[in-house]
Amino acid sequence: MRKFGIVLKYELKEYLANKGFMAVTIILTVVGILIMFLPRVFDMSDFTGVQVVEKDTSGDTDTVDDGEKDLYLYYDEKGIVDEALLTQMMPGADWQKTESREELVSLVGREGLSESGAGESSALESDGRTPQAGYVITSETSYEYYVYNKSMSDNNTYMFDEVMRQLYRNEYSKERGWDIDEIQAMYQVPITVEEKVLNKNNSENFWYCYILIIAIYIIIVLYGQMIAVSVTNEKSNRAMEVLVTSTHPNSLLFGKVIAGAVGGLLQSGLILGGFLISYKANRDVWGGQLDMFFNVPGDVLIAFALFGIGGYLFYAFLYGAMGALVSKTEDVSKSSSGLMVIILVVYFFALSQLSDIEGPIVKVLSFLPISSYSTMFARIAMGSVALWEVVVSFVILVVSILAVGALGAKIYRMGTLRYGNTVKRKTVLKELRKQK
Amino acid sequence: MVLELKDIYKSFGEKEVLHGVSLSVENGKALGFLGRNGAGKTTTIRILMDVFRANSGEILLDGKKFVPGKHRIGYLPEERGLYPKRKVMDQMIFLGTLRGMKGREAKESAERWLKRLEVDMYADKKLETLSKGNQQKVQLASTLVHDPEIVILDEPFSGLDPVNAQILKDVVNELIAQGKIVIFSSHQMNYVEEFCDYITIIDKGRVTLDGDLKEIKREYGRNRLILAADDVPPAELCQRAQQVLEGLARVFEVKKEFLVLELSEGPDRRKILERLAGSDLQVEMFGRYEPSLNDIFVAKVGEESSDESK
Repeated sequence: MRKFGIVLKYELKEYLANKGFMAVTIILTVVGILIMFLPRVFDMSDFTGVQVVEKDTSGDTDTVDDGEKDLYLYYDEKGIVDEALLTQMMPGADWQKTESREELVSLVGREGLSESGAGESSALESDGRTPQAGYVITSETSYEYYVYNKSMSDNNTYMFDEVMRQLYRNEYSKERGWDIDEIQAMYQVPITVEEKVLNKNNSENFWYCYILIIAIYIIIVLYGQMIAVSVTNEKSNRAMEVLVTSTHPNSLLFGKVIAGAVGGLLQSGLILGGFLISYKANRDVWGGQLDMFFNVPGDVLIAFALFGIGGYLFYAFLYGAMGALVSKTEDVSKSSSGLMVIILVVYFFALSQLSDIEGPIVKVLSFLPISSYSTMFARIAMGSVALWEVVVSFVILVVSILAVGALGAKIYRMGTLRYGNTVKRKTVLKELRKQK
Repeated sequence: MVLELKDIYKSFGEKEVLHGVSLSVENGKALGFLGRNGAGKTTTIRILMDVFRANSGEILLDGKKFVPGKHRIGYLPEERGLYPKRKVMDQMIFLGTLRGMKGREAKESAERWLKRLEVDMYADKKLETLSKGNQQKVQLASTLVHDPEIVILDEPFSGLDPVNAQILKDVVNELIAQGKIVIFSSHQMNYVEEFCDYITIIDKGRVTLDGDLKEIKREYGRNRLILAADDVPPAELCQRAQQVLEGLARVFEVKKEFLVLELSEGPDRRKILERLAGSDLQVEMFGRYEPSLNDIFVAKVGEESSDESK
């Protein structure tokens, strides 16, 4: 036990002294925290739904600074558009009318624009702003849309469609003497719903489960591979020869794997914790938009941590053993390919079955040690699971970890001093049978 | 304290690599464990260290079963065994504590050994940044950091220049003087001759020669004499000597500086001297032949090889 502690301390120190490891941890944590503070610095109201406002010190009311609005142009030969309605329905836009289609096209196309923005010869008061887009209204139900570079998130036509529809409705009602306000009120009669979710709200839980499954998958593959490479390195530089003559292989493998687990927990804990805590602190400015990713309940986080660490240890021991079967680091991926296939199959199964969390496949997977690390906590987050099921699954996982740890240490011990070609699985089984 | 390996057999799969290896070494003495590449030296050492299990045979310390975990053993493997990318001092403390020392003791001992081997200035450097010779000295320091009772050195002199080799020689002599059991495996026979009281030569998994080095040398030198003559090169001297000493001795070997003669059954050295005195040869050197360990090794291993090829 003392020697296990020595190996653990030494290996852990190596992780913490590793500049790359620490740099990645610090950078990702800081980036995560900064992202969560973004809405406090930039106006992300389009996404968050929370308008960034500045206090007008001269008055009591909050005002939106017009200078920050995007400039849009329109040409309305037939006088169809009502600018007041435009401003009301698209409040983030500042509207200006052009004298002709050609002028609009020329300005949107940035012809004759000075570097600072609007054309020097234009009669428009554009305050040096470049028009984002322009609309040429051709009839009550049609218009042309002009934009210089259309962005991925351009939804201007969608919003303008709504404006045109409203204008049409107004005109239509007016012609027939209908009261448009009454019709609107009838159409948009408010319905009060009082939602009572009696167990789990999967529309909220789905995404954080999805993200946590991906996170644990990445941790297992990343750290598992690191452990396998580290074992192979010890074998190739013959450090293994001195180590196995200095202490029991169980201490070596368990110390190495658990140091990896602590390192991984520390790294992912800091990164994930950075996201979660800073999101909690900024949830109001995000308008709760990221709840589906970051508002993870405590019991799910605990289940994720316990089953995640369990799953990691289960695979890490196997990765350690696989690393001992080869002598060169470039052969590690070859020896661990079988393990990778199992992890990938479990990963895709777990993700594909999230929508059927009460199904028999997920139930079975949540008890198997190869898959319970992701499926059991998903069931806890999204399904109905009895406490005894969680306990039984966890006990199976713990027993399997110990069994795989002991088996891994035997393979590790056997493989460490076999140099040259990759030790075949058949040979491993034969040797293990002999040891019995 | 006597460490003995008795009748050790070891197979890998169907192939038997050790066929009843036995050797013995006592404290305050060094055993030279010699053999060609692939002869079975490292496998024997690994069995002694409990890295491999023997198929049969026993290892005893003072007549009782030897359990490596219960003794302080310092093992310097042939192909080094430290982490190239980790700091020297960290590794030494790690190995010291792993072998039962307390952290502070391990640090003090590591500092002492690094200083003794004149590499203390590299304590905070990564091993891979050191020259091959300095890496070798660090390796030796880490072998000795926990003050082992049994020291197994597999090719300790490889990569060392003469100055560093001298430092290492002094250390090995100190270990022997301190009464430790030293097993010394090397291809550099001059070093083995310097330290070892006993030798065991292993070839193809079998011990072909073992015993007290002085006695072995005496045995190999028995009935053999050396002869050199003024202004006559050994090749020419060979023909002349065969004529002059016909019936009394034959030329056993032509060395660079002298001939090795082997006496025929019966005649003694006096008769040979008389025959030489009566010839026109100006004898420069005449005396008992004491073979080098290298000669014995080549003769013994070569003999075994030629026996097998017959």
